[in-house]
Amino acid sequence: MSSLSRNNVKVSGSGSRTILFAHGFGCDQAMWRFVAPHFEKTFKVVSMDHVGAGGSDLDAYDSEKYASLDGYASDIVEIARELGIQNGIFVGHSVSAMIGVLASLKAPEIFDTLIMVGPSPRYIDDGDYVGGFGASDIEELLASFADNPLAWSAAMAPTIMGNQERPELGQELTQSFCRTDPRIAHEFARATFTSDNRADLPKVTARTLILQCRDDIIAGENVGEYVRQNIDGSTLVLLDATGHCPNLSAPAEVTRAIKDFG
Amino acid sequence: MDVDYKQLFDDAPCGHLLVSADGIILRANTWLTDLLGYPIGGIDGKRLRDIFGMSGRILYETNLAPLLRLQRTISEVTLDLKRSDGTAIPVIMGASMVADPSGLPHMTRIAFLQAGERRLYERELLSARDDAEQGLRQQQAHGELREQFIAVLGHDLRNPLGSMSAATRMLAKETLSDRGRQVIGLMQGSVLRMSGLIDNVLDFARARLGSGIGLDLQTHESLEPLIDQVVQELRASSPDHQVQTSYAITHPVRCDVSKIGQIASNLLGNALSHGDPAQPIRVHAETTTSGEFRLWVANGGSPIAQDALTKLFDPFVRGQSGGYREGLGLGLYIAHEIAKAHGGTLTVTSTENETRFIFEMPR
Repeated sequence: MSSLSRNNVKVSGSGSRTILFAHGFGCDQAMWRFVAPHFEKTFKVVSMDHVGAGGSDLDAYDSEKYASLDGYASDIVEIARELGIQNGIFVGHSVSAMIGVLASLKAPEIFDTLIMVGPSPRYIDDGDYVGGFGASDIEELLASFADNPLAWSAAMAPTIMGNQERPELGQELTQSFCRTDPRIAHEFARATFTSDNRADLPKVTARTLILQCRDDIIAGENVGEYVRQNIDGSTLVLLDATGHCPNLSAPAEVTRAIKDFG
Repeated sequence: MDVDYKQLFDDAPCGHLLVSADGIILRANTWLTDLLGYPIGGIDGKRLRDIFGMSGRILYETNLAPLLRLQRTISEVTLDLKRSDGTAIPVIMGASMVADPSGLPHMTRIAFLQAGERRLYERELLSARDDAEQGLRQQQAHGELREQFIAVLGHDLRNPLGSMSAATRMLAKETLSDRGRQVIGLMQGSVLRMSGLIDNVLDFARARLGSGIGLDLQTHESLEPLIDQVVQELRASSPDHQVQTSYAITHPVRCDVSKIGQIASNLLGNALSHGDPAQPIRVHAETTTSGEFRLWVANGGSPIAQDALTKLFDPFVRGQSGGYREGLGLGLYIAHEIAKAHGGTLTVTSTENETRFIFEMPR
């Protein structure tokens, strides 16, 4: 099967370079809807859903393949090869920052630039390393999926929006955003929050920009700083935005930072 | 009428929160403050994350906050709040985002309802579903075992029967006494009946215990030679009972030819067992211009009792009359199942004049 239909890949814009946007845990490509369109004049813009999220092909979900971030990284490489991407820009939010690292190590020719929004190479504290979560925090999170799968119900039901306020969303009146199968969300959470990619950071050869929010409980400032220190020549920009999703809460700032680096 | 909205907010029978864009609780109402075990005003100024458990915080940051920004509202979220003493309390949450003129988040309004009983009920449902799924998996494993058993049984029964059939054919070519030839004829009849019984038993097992009667569908120009061969074989085993045939097959038929042979064999076998030996059995097969294939077998003798008619196609139903030779009583049931598998029907009419079984299917 084509990786393009499997991952609900959408291509827009035009330009000699390609910029690919990848979403993190908990949502889908809608995460980039206020950022990606600003690149369409100068880039070929690619957005996609990881398998299990959004409009991806749920039949392609394989618990074994996606038990680690490596399975998601293989998909990125397949998409890039199918689209013939060379020396492109990879923009990864949250866990997709590390998925981008793994993809660029597998196939260094596809992306010469990595933009990481709220990256974390390891969420669980380990000795001197402070990831921000204790092992018991993550156990509690993973247990909650089994105990209370309906926590994800807000993302399950299509929502009908009043479109006067948001005319740009008019054509998606009954679409649900961030659709997630609770069982797959559970396994993606495990792959995400138990990952450890610290050893991969020094191997990165792509130009790297880290966009760090303030007051982000998922990936704190010290974690962004750790990533900067361990990727040679990387740049960290501390945004004014707070929380974990500046691509939604401060899209103009994120867009500007990516363009300034590009 | 004056309505005191401030009082409604504070004393509403559900929880209300106003949260700033950067996650600070601006105002919590009395109901929520009490529920979480704080003194009045004790939550105001805290961060929203402070009243969430760990999984709630991650859920909010990675899923709920993005949804609020994208859809402006979320509803029916079930999560746990954290009380001042650290214990968890299940709630249902809805929220809406207030945007500033540029469309960016300005404030979030959140409402909570308690959901302890509901959560318990959900847990029970989940656990019942898990049990059911496990039971189903076990049944599927048993089903696979049965399929294998049926396949092995069929193979192991057919092989020695094939040897016996070959042996009787070889013996029939030897010079034998009259009595010897008679015995060989009887043996060949028995082998034929046994072969038919094995087919029926295997089909019964597949239909009832396994994956259903499987069909190998092919288009056959004429079914006449097949049906005629079945008639010849059964005639040889019951030489005293006259069988008349008539055919009007002018169209090809798409079917599983061995199963159609089985229907013919089962219906004719049934007529030989239960019909009056003094009256001829009539076998007729035809294709119709309206697109059907029809096969009927009619015999004389006493009619089938009305109450027996309704159960005729159930398994293990045996006829009342003597001289019964079909054994398990699966023949009509299997013929009926094969008819259904072909998208056709098997029906019966029984009068003083004749008893007639009619098999019809789209060709």
